[in-house]
Amino acid sequence: MAGRVGVRALIVLAYVIIFAPMVTVAIISFFDQEIVSVPPEALTLKWYVNAWAQRDFARGFVTSLQIASIATLIGVPLGTLAALGLARSSFRGKEAVNTFLLAPLAVPAIVAGSALYLYYVMAENVLDMDIKGTLGGLIAANVLLTIPWTVRLVSASLAGLDRSAEEAAANLGARPFTVFRRITLPMMRPGIVAAALFSFVASFENLELNLLLVGPGRVTLPVAMLSYLEFRMDPTLAAVATVQIALIAAMMLITDRFVKLSRVV
Amino acid sequence: MPAATLVVPACLLVTALLVGPMVYLGRISLNHYDASSMMTEALTLENYVRAVADPYYRGVMATTLTMALVCTTTTLILGFPVAYWIARMQSSWKSLVTVMTLMPLLVGNVVRVAGWVGLLGNQGFVNAGLQGVGLIDEPIRILYTPFAVALGTVAVVLPYMILTLASVIEAIPRNVEEAAANLGAPPATVFSRVVWPLALPGVAAGCTLVFILCMNTFATAVLLGGSQFKMMAPAVYDQFSKGSNWPFGAALAFILLIATLTLTVLGSVLIARRSRRRVAA
Repeated sequence: MAGRVGVRALIVLAYVIIFAPMVTVAIISFFDQEIVSVPPEALTLKWYVNAWAQRDFARGFVTSLQIASIATLIGVPLGTLAALGLARSSFRGKEAVNTFLLAPLAVPAIVAGSALYLYYVMAENVLDMDIKGTLGGLIAANVLLTIPWTVRLVSASLAGLDRSAEEAAANLGARPFTVFRRITLPMMRPGIVAAALFSFVASFENLELNLLLVGPGRVTLPVAMLSYLEFRMDPTLAAVATVQIALIAAMMLITDRFVKLSRVV
Repeated sequence: MPAATLVVPACLLVTALLVGPMVYLGRISLNHYDASSMMTEALTLENYVRAVADPYYRGVMATTLTMALVCTTTTLILGFPVAYWIARMQSSWKSLVTVMTLMPLLVGNVVRVAGWVGLLGNQGFVNAGLQGVGLIDEPIRILYTPFAVALGTVAVVLPYMILTLASVIEAIPRNVEEAAANLGAPPATVFSRVVWPLALPGVAAGCTLVFILCMNTFATAVLLGGSQFKMMAPAVYDQFSKGSNWPFGAALAFILLIATLTLTVLGSVLIARRSRRRVAA
């Protein structure tokens, strides 16, 4: 019995550790006084207004939104094709290709970010054009992030797929492209939707990969938050953080209504 | 057109944006640097030698390794019960609990760090609470300590461990446990002789993933550890952002990468050998 209580306590402790910082940041964002102290003097929504008025956060939000959406639009189709190629063929070194495509998540983001930084500087000298700090340079780095998420999630959805429906359609005279469009693609949809969600958010929230690649006037939201936090933590920053938590939770719950995330991921 | 060609575009992209830069980083790490002439082309291992010999960077590496080991162990101890609980859950809550566990994976580290500062700071929730109930008179220092970094890191990596373990435990047939229990094994024995050995591949996978993430802690280390506390990832970043000693930064980056890979491979091999022996016995 004592063991069972201990196990329950560990479960509760685990979730407290996971959620405590997120709950705290949400509570602080409603505190009236500028210097965070407990208990609050009064509650207010003014920091949300203030957060949007801070040009750095508003701009960062827009920049991150641009980068994450375009990177997702490029990376998810590429990753989906690759997952399809891996699932529908058998060639030597297939396992290696799979591992290779997941590598961008295995290489530490700060190492990959430093490497891309030097690479961009070199390419700038060779090509005589700006790359570092440009939208294109940032998007390229973030596409790299979307590939492993997509390959992993779409592969998982393809693994449990019954091929007899495809064979039936082909036997009934459907052309390969029709089979793909009418049978394969709809069956892959849960994996693709989950991949798009994870790619987008992973890119939007990424700090380390983008840290050295941002430039003046083009800073992503997490980088803007980091430089702010190095000096102070106040309710304005808490408001920015809370908006992100709320958006991510909402996106996940909406996605979950259409595809059961607990089954695809 | 064979289906295998579909992997080509993604492979080209990873080659251009990951392999290329990594090779270039490796090349840079072999260059020579001095303050007057900056970087000059060379083929030398002096940057690696310096990184390994310098007591400061040895300390940074020791901190990073200790932190990663402590956090991985803590995460395993906390994550296993949760994973077991989720894996064996049969009610309709299961998918909600899974999505709730998944959600924090997508929340950025900076967002979470902001929460920890509010919780652990001198005027934060924890100190205010302890003062409120009269346990302490003066705020105690929690923020800007290694403990704060460990706590913040565990919070980041726990969901990875839970989800990895849960998927493996789910595949362990329930009736194996029931059989052991019916034959008179107490719960602790069912765990140590049945569940744990069968879950070992998941433990290996979870610990590997979590260890890699811990070795590369960045935002949590920078913002919760304070100015005296240094881990490898921030040290690498400093070389590129503050200093201009690219060769040394590149060497540090490779040392971090190699140390992480070596230890994860070693760990997996050890666990795999252990699990084979268990199954044989």
